[in-house]
Amino acid sequence: MNIGVIKAYILKEFKELIRTRMIFIVYAIPIIVIVLFGYGIKLDVTHSRVLIIDNDQSKLSRELIEKFKHSKYFNATELNISESKALKLIKQAKKDAVIIIPNSFEKRLIKNQKVNIGVFIDGSFPNRARTIENYIEGVIIDDLQSYAPKTSISTNVININPRSLFNQAMRDEDAIVPGLIGFVLLVAPAVLSALLIVKEKEEGTIFNFYASPISKEDFLIAKLTPPFILHSLNIFILFLIAVYLFNVPFRGSFTLYWFSSELYILISLAIGLLVSVVTRSQIVALVLTVVITVLPGFLYSGMIMPISSMSQESYIEAHMFPVMYYNHIIYDTFLIGEGLNSRKIILYLIILTIYASVLFILGRLFLKKELKK
Amino acid sequence: MANLNVNSVTVIYKGNRIGIKDASFKAEEGEIVGFIGADGTGKSSLMHAISGIIKFKGEISFGKYVYHSPKEAEKVKKYIGFMPQGLGLILYDRLTVEEHLDFFANVRNIKMDKNFKTYKQKLLHMAGLSRFTEREAEHLSGGMRQKLSLICTLIHRPRLLLLDEPTTGVDPLSRLELWEILDNIRKEEGTIIIVSTAYMQEASKMDRLLLFDDNRIMASGTSKQLTDSVRNYVYKKTPCKDTDCLELHNVTYSLKPLNSEHKDPTLEDIFFINALKNRKKLTEISVSKRERRLEIPPIVMEAKGLTKKFGDFVADDKIDMELKRNEILGLFGANGAGKTTFIKMLLGLYPIDEGELTLLSQPIRSGRDRRKLKSKIGYVSQHFALYKNMSVRENLIYFASIHQIPASEALRRIERYGKELGFSDYLDAMPKDLPLGINQRFSIAAAIIHEPVVLFLDEPTSGIDVIARHQFWQLLKLLKEQWGISILITTHYMSEAEYCDRVVLLKEGKKIADDTVENFYKKHPEASNFEEIFLEYYREAN
Repeated sequence: MNIGVIKAYILKEFKELIRTRMIFIVYAIPIIVIVLFGYGIKLDVTHSRVLIIDNDQSKLSRELIEKFKHSKYFNATELNISESKALKLIKQAKKDAVIIIPNSFEKRLIKNQKVNIGVFIDGSFPNRARTIENYIEGVIIDDLQSYAPKTSISTNVININPRSLFNQAMRDEDAIVPGLIGFVLLVAPAVLSALLIVKEKEEGTIFNFYASPISKEDFLIAKLTPPFILHSLNIFILFLIAVYLFNVPFRGSFTLYWFSSELYILISLAIGLLVSVVTRSQIVALVLTVVITVLPGFLYSGMIMPISSMSQESYIEAHMFPVMYYNHIIYDTFLIGEGLNSRKIILYLIILTIYASVLFILGRLFLKKELKK
Repeated sequence: MANLNVNSVTVIYKGNRIGIKDASFKAEEGEIVGFIGADGTGKSSLMHAISGIIKFKGEISFGKYVYHSPKEAEKVKKYIGFMPQGLGLILYDRLTVEEHLDFFANVRNIKMDKNFKTYKQKLLHMAGLSRFTEREAEHLSGGMRQKLSLICTLIHRPRLLLLDEPTTGVDPLSRLELWEILDNIRKEEGTIIIVSTAYMQEASKMDRLLLFDDNRIMASGTSKQLTDSVRNYVYKKTPCKDTDCLELHNVTYSLKPLNSEHKDPTLEDIFFINALKNRKKLTEISVSKRERRLEIPPIVMEAKGLTKKFGDFVADDKIDMELKRNEILGLFGANGAGKTTFIKMLLGLYPIDEGELTLLSQPIRSGRDRRKLKSKIGYVSQHFALYKNMSVRENLIYFASIHQIPASEALRRIERYGKELGFSDYLDAMPKDLPLGINQRFSIAAAIIHEPVVLFLDEPTSGIDVIARHQFWQLLKLLKEQWGISILITTHYMSEAEYCDRVVLLKEGKKIADDTVENFYKKHPEASNFEEIFLEYYREAN
């Protein structure tokens, strides 16, 4: 290893990164992604616009309407219009749902007879519709339960399956933001390291490496150190955003978070290196890196769907990508805090280390110090 | 003594494409060896093999080191300096001149001591870059970039220096300065220098020449040895119909003795005689009359005070120019002198900032004025704008349909041009599989398929071999004679001035000379070729 040579290359890379303004991209993109997605991907629904038609005008029905009006999940309005007019409002996307309370609502409940509450929901976005449906059912059940002890009303009269998490007020930020860190730290360093090498191929400066006595190892160290240092800072920036902007609790060990993130960045850099070995132009390198990091980074992060509930194929695929292992560790450091007491986390750290080593060995093997024929 | 010994080196690319076959030569300390030949004849392949950056068959030894592969070449790399083809290819746009030298020194593990600093200053001085140490490479001119690349390659004092076309695309003055640097280095350091070039005139600066043709080394020796070897075959123009004969515009080659006066041979002649010896038939080029007769005004193009600015930079500064009927006008100048910009203004590819332009007696003020004339103008750009994935015939049909030529007529014309310009065998081939010379002729066919009155050609001959270039000029001459066409052409080959009727010299956006070729020679009786005249004007204008 020749420190002087490596230093010269690193210095040059930093100068170029700063003068080409690439450095802004290094920090801007991760921040933009985490902020946009953190706020943008919300799986729970608040303030859905609900129209309630009260055909009963009884004490019980008004109390139910009050419940809707006081819930943060709904913007409830009461109107006495015909059913067809109400449905039109859904069609025009002015309302998300319409609830119709039948005229004998109170009477039948007291008599413990079956009540049919009409609920119509805009199904354009199935997930959202299902969530709204569950919330509406939840409010109704909740309302009835509050009467149950006082009266003889049985909750069985309305046959609905409430969403179990409903009253726990599970925050989406806690579920999504740590996953986004795993996503960003997989994509961004890989893109940068791929570009830094391919850029020299595309512009021809790679000849300086080919025609000089620099060893392949020195070249790799020199090329990968700048993105490693720059993105190491992102580990802290993303942590601060998660904890202070999104108020995600941090219950585990910061050292573990830091160490596993650095390890994970190394994996990302090695992916970029492999891409740059096989590509010749920056645009191809960029597209290829994005494709092989963004999709698994998103799908198998456990952000959208827990790995344990995946089907056979996707379960296997999830285990092939490093995202799953890393995300398990950082979800633990943020939300659980079991840390190294968990056997699984130790195992996953080992898997990540093997992952990084194998990728680097492959990159070093495939890196050629000669022109492709 | 570290001598270079190249022993039957062969480089073969993917798909069995030959880069260079069986190349052998030797070079001694302090010697400048020139690789001369057209594009794609194997110069770069051989350089890459010697620099140890591509796999090859055969053996290369330098001093006590022997190598057969890039891996084995690793140990000699510290003695080698290699500068690849391309203007300042090895430079980092965002680094300054000084940072470049320091980077290359660091990468080569050179101690930054007093010695180094003196050497660095000396190199900067030689390259004329002392005043520009703080300037980023991006803002250097082509010539300066090339000189910076050279001194970066020299910073570790290589014992073996390989320069791949260091002077291509560089203006004649910078070219002279590059050669001065090389001459100093080899004298002071005893470096072996291998230089490739497409400019035959530079051969005189070299101790030994290797001529490349057909991916082989065709001949080697000093410039004098090489020209002497063909002296007996070169005659002043004499009619000769024999198969052992070849008659060109001002010279006749014959393998059998002719009863005629000999002419001083040039290096270019060697390529023709080689073709003659190998019984390679030169494609006969002919041009028949126009299909439609046209009235052509005596002045085809008239520019008055044409100016183009890019921000603060004035690319063309108040240029007056006239192109007459039936005239070939050569537009000469260094890189960045404003040649291409001028042609693009004529074509309406750049808006004209100031000045008046009249094409075919029609003042050009708007896009509508131009549209009326589209059918009378032909244009070939620097990089032939052909569609790579369409066959030659498909390309030509496409260009014909742009000019609304009926399909039956277009097909007939394509057949005819194919025969006359000698590419009928290639009509169904893809342009990327064809030699540059063929592509160039069919680009011309595309530009003249609508039988224009005037033809604008922007550096159509760059990188094309001697024979193809000769045929190309023959074609232009025939077009002029048969069609009465007017041609405005830019080129980097000074020797091609001889084919022009009139020459305009541009420098830094200004016109510095405009005269017939004869008059240029009359004014400069001491000049033996046009390059010398050109340099004269460039120096005067400084």
